[in-house]
Amino acid sequence: MADDARSIFSRAALSLPPSHVSLDLLSSGVCVRCIFRLFGIHGDFYSCPFLTGPGLNYFLKLQNGCQASISENGHGSFGIHKCSYTSEESDFDQKYCSICLGILQFPHDLYLGEGSSKENFSIDVFVEKIVESIKIANHQIDGFFLEVSIPPVIAANERSFWSYMKKKYDSEAWFKNKALYNQISLKDALRLSITESLEKTLSVKSGANSFHICLAYTNSEASLSLKNSLRKVQSSNRRRTEKENVVKVVDQCGNGQLDSREQLCSKSDAAILKELSSLDDHTFCDIFELPPKKASNSCKLMITCYRMPMFIGGRYLKFSRKVSQTLWIIDDERMGEASVEEIVGTPALEICRGDSYKFHAAGREDIDVRMLGSGRPFLVEVSNARCLPSMVDVVQMAVKINNSEKKYVMVRNLKVVGSEAWNLMRVGEAEKQKQYAALVWISRPLTDEDLQSISSVNNMEISQSTPIRVLHRRSPLERKRIIHWMKIEKIVGSSQFFLLHLCTQAGTYIKEFVHGDLGRTFPSIGSLLACRAEILQLDVTDVKMDVFI
Amino acid sequence: MAEGQETLEKSPLSSLEKSVEDEERRALLIPDFSDLPSIPRSAVESNFVRYYAVDFLKPAHDQYIYRHANGLCVIGLAPSHAALNEVGGVQSVDFNVGKSNRSELKVTGKRKRNAQHLQPDSALCYVCADGTYYTVRCCVKGSLLEVNDRLIKNPELLNLAADREGYIAIIMPKPTDWLKVKDSFLSYEDYTKLRHQVSGSSASNVC
Repeated sequence: MADDARSIFSRAALSLPPSHVSLDLLSSGVCVRCIFRLFGIHGDFYSCPFLTGPGLNYFLKLQNGCQASISENGHGSFGIHKCSYTSEESDFDQKYCSICLGILQFPHDLYLGEGSSKENFSIDVFVEKIVESIKIANHQIDGFFLEVSIPPVIAANERSFWSYMKKKYDSEAWFKNKALYNQISLKDALRLSITESLEKTLSVKSGANSFHICLAYTNSEASLSLKNSLRKVQSSNRRRTEKENVVKVVDQCGNGQLDSREQLCSKSDAAILKELSSLDDHTFCDIFELPPKKASNSCKLMITCYRMPMFIGGRYLKFSRKVSQTLWIIDDERMGEASVEEIVGTPALEICRGDSYKFHAAGREDIDVRMLGSGRPFLVEVSNARCLPSMVDVVQMAVKINNSEKKYVMVRNLKVVGSEAWNLMRVGEAEKQKQYAALVWISRPLTDEDLQSISSVNNMEISQSTPIRVLHRRSPLERKRIIHWMKIEKIVGSSQFFLLHLCTQAGTYIKEFVHGDLGRTFPSIGSLLACRAEILQLDVTDVKMDVFI
Repeated sequence: MAEGQETLEKSPLSSLEKSVEDEERRALLIPDFSDLPSIPRSAVESNFVRYYAVDFLKPAHDQYIYRHANGLCVIGLAPSHAALNEVGGVQSVDFNVGKSNRSELKVTGKRKRNAQHLQPDSALCYVCADGTYYTVRCCVKGSLLEVNDRLIKNPELLNLAADREGYIAIIMPKPTDWLKVKDSFLSYEDYTKLRHQVSGSSASNVC
């Protein structure tokens, strides 16, 4: 153990500044891992359990001693490091690193809601804690991604130490070439410290996985004092310009102080970081202590985990004119008998055991329009899935939907897809072609010339004013749309009813194209045939897209 | 894994099943002729509730208000309107009503910016028939979303289909304003009853 520690310290020492600097940092309360990362030390050092302040202190003193030839009779052996520790204890009664506030020290009282204990700091216990919380959430995992959030006060601490070192050591040769951007970020150092152990314990690899383990560190005390410091700068900057406003605000709410405190708390970490980085060095040194005060409070940790949204995609067919695409509620009353959204989303949520689902489709049809033929591409987005459904699970889900009693909806080509399917569904959405069959009536008998003139249509441009039926919620506009082709299919026994098959650009309002919407869609079937045309039924027969065919 | 997916995807639809399915789809599309009405309800009839304002401010100034379920009102000349019953019918339509030209302001956006707020007696346009100018009024308080500017070039639309392509304007009343004014209008049934009785004399009254 002692040899391990010595070898790590001696390897690291090559990248460390002269020992008096390291000792200075140590006595200012910086932890070993933070010292390492400040000076950009890479590698597997971080996961080593023996990186304690007293250890490094002992090592450095020993090294110093050797260099200065003061060390006399082999007293400086790591074999008796325990004695050395106790002798130095008084210097290290401060428990938490003044930069990372304990994050890289893995203290036991880190975890929210648990009292402090006097046990040793340990990575293993830390990893155990994480694994415990994952087990409670009961996720099926195939890997993980470590997400870390730290309070902005850490950035201030780091900068404060750099400013401190610059002031003190700027003239020393080693300080040249050292700069803030060489350092390893706290988040990366934390990952370096625990990833290997986590991988081993969970027996899965870390990487760009959709299963996220979130370590959220907070330190309300330090954050509050940081906000207060920043407020001082702000108020001095803005005093002249905003003085009057402030007075007004206080007058209005009667209790201005409380109000501003609430505002401060709601300010996001990103905004605080931005504010911090916008401070020039001079102002920074003015408002922050160099080096920062020793920390008496550690950060608190919240461990959560979740699965990034999972997608099940396919195409759906809708056979009912009383089923809407999405759940449609007006004044607490459901419109229609069911919705595709629920029929498809509910079983998807079940097989993934997720928290909730969202239904997305490539376009939509009215409730009284059936979706036949190829079906319409859709995605069900399941958030925080506990299960990763297999192909068999998905096929079973499809069978269940397709054999349901009411047969409102069928699905095809159902599969688990990546989030890139989202883009596939959106690609060419405006240009994609859609094919319809409409049952049309005209005010006079159909002639052979009508068949001719209709089937001669080839990529005809029409102009559609926003239909009256949607004008209340959509912008009044005139849109150009393309009718690619049309074909009349006669209905035996009728001269005025016929089936109109047509293929149009996405976004064409078909009902209006047939009856003309009081002349607001032009040309229309009515205007082309110079008679009154009415539409009785409409079905989508094909959505021509490359996705999920 | 990839191959497994392929087979699982394709298996539900063999080519035989596909042709059966096509047949089924055709059967779905073709309606049963016996179910079809001889003359179906028109889009106007099925999408709007029809109201009438008769003798609006002046005798025989009969207008219709077609109200869509979404609250929008289409305003136009009822068949018994004096202008439609003049010899030669309507000859011109002018949306320039003094202070503003109703056809010039363009309403934009979902929130209908630039919409003019009109009162029931606000003029929408003048229609000229046989040398006489008739003022067409708004009938309902609300925002003017659009006027039928095709009437400027083609006033004949009023004589051919005043209840369809010959509409005058589209108004968006507030729901409360609509409730206040709605009862002052005649229903379609009451209107036909009333104007059938007097339809012969209405035109001559104005002259």
